[in-house]
Amino acid sequence: MYEVRFHGRGGQGAVMAAQSLADAAFIEGNYAVAFPYFGAERRGAPVLAFARVDANKIYRKTQIYKPDYVIVLDDKLIDLINVAEGLSKDGMAILNSTKKPEEIQLENEVRTATVDATTIALDVLGVPITNSVMLGAFAKATGLVKIESIEKGIMDIFGARIGERIAKKNAKAARTAYERTAIGTCKGGRIFKKEKKWLPTYKELPLGLATRAMKTDAGLVGPGSFVENKTGSWRTFKPIIDKEKCIECLFCWFYCPEGCISRTSNGLKIDYDYCKGCGICANECPANAIEMVR
Amino acid sequence: MSLKIKDLPEENLFTKGHTACPGCGGAIMAKIAMKVFGKNTCAYFPANCLLVFGGTYPLNAFKVPYLHVLFENSAVCAAGIKRALNKLGKEDVNVVAFAGDGGTADIGIQALSGAAERNEDIIYICYDNEAYMNTGIQRSGSTPFGAWTTTTPVGSKIAGKERFKKDVPRIMIAHDVPYVATASISYPLDLLKKLEKVKNMKGFRYLQIFAPCPTGWRLDPSKTVEIGKLAVESGMWTLYEFENGKMTINKKPKMIPVREYLKPQGRFRHLTDEQIDILQELVKKKWERDLAMAESTH
Ligand SMILES: Cc1ncc(C[n+]2csc(CCOP(=O)(O)OP(=O)(O)O)c2C)c(N)n1
Ligand code: SF4
Ligand code: SF4
Ligand SMILES: [Mg+2]
Repeated sequence: MYEVRFHGRGGQGAVMAAQSLADAAFIEGNYAVAFPYFGAERRGAPVLAFARVDANKIYRKTQIYKPDYVIVLDDKLIDLINVAEGLSKDGMAILNSTKKPEEIQLENEVRTATVDATTIALDVLGVPITNSVMLGAFAKATGLVKIESIEKGIMDIFGARIGERIAKKNAKAARTAYERTAIGTCKGGRIFKKEKKWLPTYKELPLGLATRAMKTDAGLVGPGSFVENKTGSWRTFKPIIDKEKCIECLFCWFYCPEGCISRTSNGLKIDYDYCKGCGICANECPANAIEMVR
Repeated sequence: MSLKIKDLPEENLFTKGHTACPGCGGAIMAKIAMKVFGKNTCAYFPANCLLVFGGTYPLNAFKVPYLHVLFENSAVCAAGIKRALNKLGKEDVNVVAFAGDGGTADIGIQALSGAAERNEDIIYICYDNEAYMNTGIQRSGSTPFGAWTTTTPVGSKIAGKERFKKDVPRIMIAHDVPYVATASISYPLDLLKKLEKVKNMKGFRYLQIFAPCPTGWRLDPSKTVEIGKLAVESGMWTLYEFENGKMTINKKPKMIPVREYLKPQGRFRHLTDEQIDILQELVKKKWERDLAMAESTH
C-alpha cells in the first residue's frame, strides 16, 4: 500500500488530483480511494486531500498522518506549513517549485522532486491551477503509475467535471510536467514553529462564551483579531500602483475586498501581507494605474 | 449632503485577514457597510459565507459585538436584542442582521416576515449572491433562471434552474415597512446613500445588496464589480427604493442584451439561444413591472 497526501489551496483542485490519481491506479488494476479533508476552507486557504492505493482491498478509513508521498500544489505552502510532517523517511516530497530539489529544505532529508508547475499551468491551461501538472510530476518521480494512466485518469475525472476539452489540456499539462520534473534529495533540519492555540479553561472563558478583544500568548482573539491571519501568500499575481498615473479616485480603496489598500500622505498603499491578488483594483482603476504582475 | 467615497473613515471595522475567496462581493459589502454603520453597531449572522469567512473562533474580523444566530431566525434575534438594548436605555445602537439570500429568501423568511410585520426597529441586510455558497453552491429561491448550481445541474433534460429569481424586495414592500431598497456593491454612491439612510431611520429597514460570488458564478475574480454593473445595465437587477409608501427607481437600466451579462459567467455557459430568449423576456417583464409599481405610487 502507498499513501499520498496532497497539500493545496481551495480552488486548486487538490481533491480532483487525488481522485485522478486513484483513478489512474485503479486503471492499472489496483484498489484505490481518494478523499478530502473537510473544513470551512474557501478558495485560497490551505487544504488537504488524500489518496490510498493498494493491490488488495483497502479497509483503512482514516486521514493520512504518515504518508509515503506528499504532493504540494502551491509553491508558497512549503514555507508556511510543515508539508513533510509524518512523511516516511523512505518517502518522497513532490513539490511545485522553481528550485532544484537540492535547494529545498524540509524537516528531514528525503527524496524530493520539483517542477515549476505554476509556469506550466499558466502556459498550457492559462490559469495557475496546478493539480493536473503535479500528477505528471508524481508519475515521473515515483514510477508507481504510468503517465498514460495519469492522462486517462485526468480525462475520466476532469472530463466528467469540467468537460473533455479542458480535460485534454490538463492531460497535456501533466505530460509536460512529466518531461520537466527534476529528482534529487532535499536538505533536512528545517524547524517549524508549532502554531500556538488559545485554549482557555472554562474559568477563563468570559460569561456566555462571548470573547472580548484580548491579547493572549497565542496572539489576538475576539473582535478584530483576524488581522492575525495573513492572507498575502494566497496571491499569484501582485498589483502594483503607478503613483504617476494614479488620480486618487479611491475606487480601488473602496472595492478592495480585503480592505488592504490604505490612504497615506504619500498616496495609496497596498498591504501585501494581506492582498490576495484578486485583481479587482486593477480592473476598476479608471486611470489604468494598477498593473498585475507575477 | 450625501455620503461620498472620500468621506468614509479609513478604519475598517471588518478587518483584513478574513478568509473570503479572492474577489468576494460579500466581503466588499461587509467592509463598506461597517464603514458606514460605525462602532455603535451590533451584528447578527445566520449561517452563511460571511459568518464563516468573517470569523473562526476565537478569531474574528468584526470589531463590533457579533453573534452567530440560527439560520431561521436572524430577524427575530436582532429584534429581541434591539428591544433589550432599548430597555437598557441604549436606544442609539444600530442592530443589523446580515443574512445571505438563502437565509433570506428561503430559510429565514418567516422570521423576517414576522419582524417586518411588527415593524421591529432593526436593519436587515440581505447580501445576494444568488445561491447557497457556503455549503458549495446549491440553488436558492434567489438563484436566477438558467443558472447552473450543484442542485440545478446541466443535463440533457434540464439545464440550470427552471424558475425565475424570487423577488424578495417585492415581498418586503408588501409588508409596508418604512424602508425597502435594492443596491449593489458596484454602485458606490447609490449604496452609500442607502446604507446611510437605513442607519438613520427608525422601524424595519430592508436592504438587498447584489454581491457577486466569483467562485459560485464561475467568474474571473477580478470581474466581481464589473459583473455587478452589467447586471444593472441589462435589467437583471434593478436599483430602487421604497420609502414611506413611495417607490423610486434609482437607475434606469440601459437594457443592454442579457447575453452581455451572461457571457463572462461559467454558471450560464450552457444556455441555449432559446433559454436566453426566455430570460430576456423575463427581464423585460420584471423591469416593466418595477416601473409600473414605481409610477403607481407617485
Ligand atoms: C437550518 C440549517 N440548514 C442548513 C445549514 C447549512 N448551511 C450553512 S450556510 C448555508 C448556505 C447559506 O447560503 P446563503 O444564505 O445564501 O449565504 P451564502 O453562503 O451564499 O453567502 C447552509 C445551507 C444550516 N447551518 N442550518
Ligand atoms: S488585488 Fe485584490 S486584494 Fe489585492 S489590493 Fe487589489 S483589490 Fe485588494
Ligand atoms: S463562495 Fe462566494 S460568497 Fe462565499 S466567500 Fe467565496 S466568493 Fe464570497
Ligand atoms: Mg447566498
